[in-house]
Amino acid sequence: MTSPEMRKRELSRLVVKLRTIADLSPTAEQALLALPLRLKVFEENADIVSQGDEPSECALVVDGFACRYKVLGEGQRQIMSFHSSGDIPDLQSLHLRVMDHSLLALTPATIAFLPHGPLLALTREHPDIAAAFWRDTLIDAAVFREWLAGVGRRSARQRIAHLICELYTRMRAVGLTDGSSFELPVTQAELGDALGLSSVHVNRVMQELRRDDLIVSRGRHIAIGEWERLQAAGDFDPEYLHLREQRAA
Amino acid sequence: MKLSFEPALVASGEDGEGRLVYRGDYLVAVLVRLSAAHEAEAGGWFLEKGFGPLDGPNPPTFAGLDEARAWIAAQLAHHFDGKYWP
Repeated sequence: MTSPEMRKRELSRLVVKLRTIADLSPTAEQALLALPLRLKVFEENADIVSQGDEPSECALVVDGFACRYKVLGEGQRQIMSFHSSGDIPDLQSLHLRVMDHSLLALTPATIAFLPHGPLLALTREHPDIAAAFWRDTLIDAAVFREWLAGVGRRSARQRIAHLICELYTRMRAVGLTDGSSFELPVTQAELGDALGLSSVHVNRVMQELRRDDLIVSRGRHIAIGEWERLQAAGDFDPEYLHLREQRAA
Repeated sequence: MKLSFEPALVASGEDGEGRLVYRGDYLVAVLVRLSAAHEAEAGGWFLEKGFGPLDGPNPPTFAGLDEARAWIAAQLAHHFDGKYWP
């Protein structure tokens, strides 16, 4: 276990995230900051939690980039969501005993494991925390609906533009963007696994978006070129993210 | 049955070079050559479109046409059940 000051630093990421989607009383925030936790650093491509596990803690992403995924027959992988600092991607394990998918570190990642017992006690003592977690879970489902619509019915260009818009909007809300740019530390193959596209198609569309001045990208660094046009290209409407504040870029 | 590879220009955003792959009279696949934009895979061949048993969510890339031919032949042999052609 870490010192209270250390815990506050790690847990403040969670508070920043929850503030973007819910109202928290000062008392509730103090209670969140006092949660016990266990820190662990994961290497790139290491499972944080695996399908079939029965976790007794939830994984809060402190630093790094993670994804939820499933492995299908013939070794094919579907990535189902991306997560950055402040997210608890396996919050569901608080109420669902067995993991029905895995959580992977896409970059070296620092994870704060929050034991279920104190977390459950917190939700019982602070209805606004319970409501914030519930809201987070509902937004999670809204994001899945949006991804389902995309994988089923959007073109490769729309899917990629949409994902860039989504990640930029989410990361901007928690202060992880730098002006109009952000780090997207995923390979084209990983983008393909998330969007149901071959890496050839991902590469073609990324070139196209660059050529059309919708994005400027160098390695893992992406800068938004023309935000309005990128949103239009991705058929992106941020409503489904249900952020409390949606400022223009 | 013999596979034949017929040169064709394909409008898929690459340099255009492509092959229509036939099994007898039946078109079973369209291959395109990957442009320099694909870096490590540049010059390789991508299964732009597979028909019938070659259709799927994870189209492969091949280093050369011989490799593509071997894969296509193996897939067709594996899946052949008289459903896609007489």
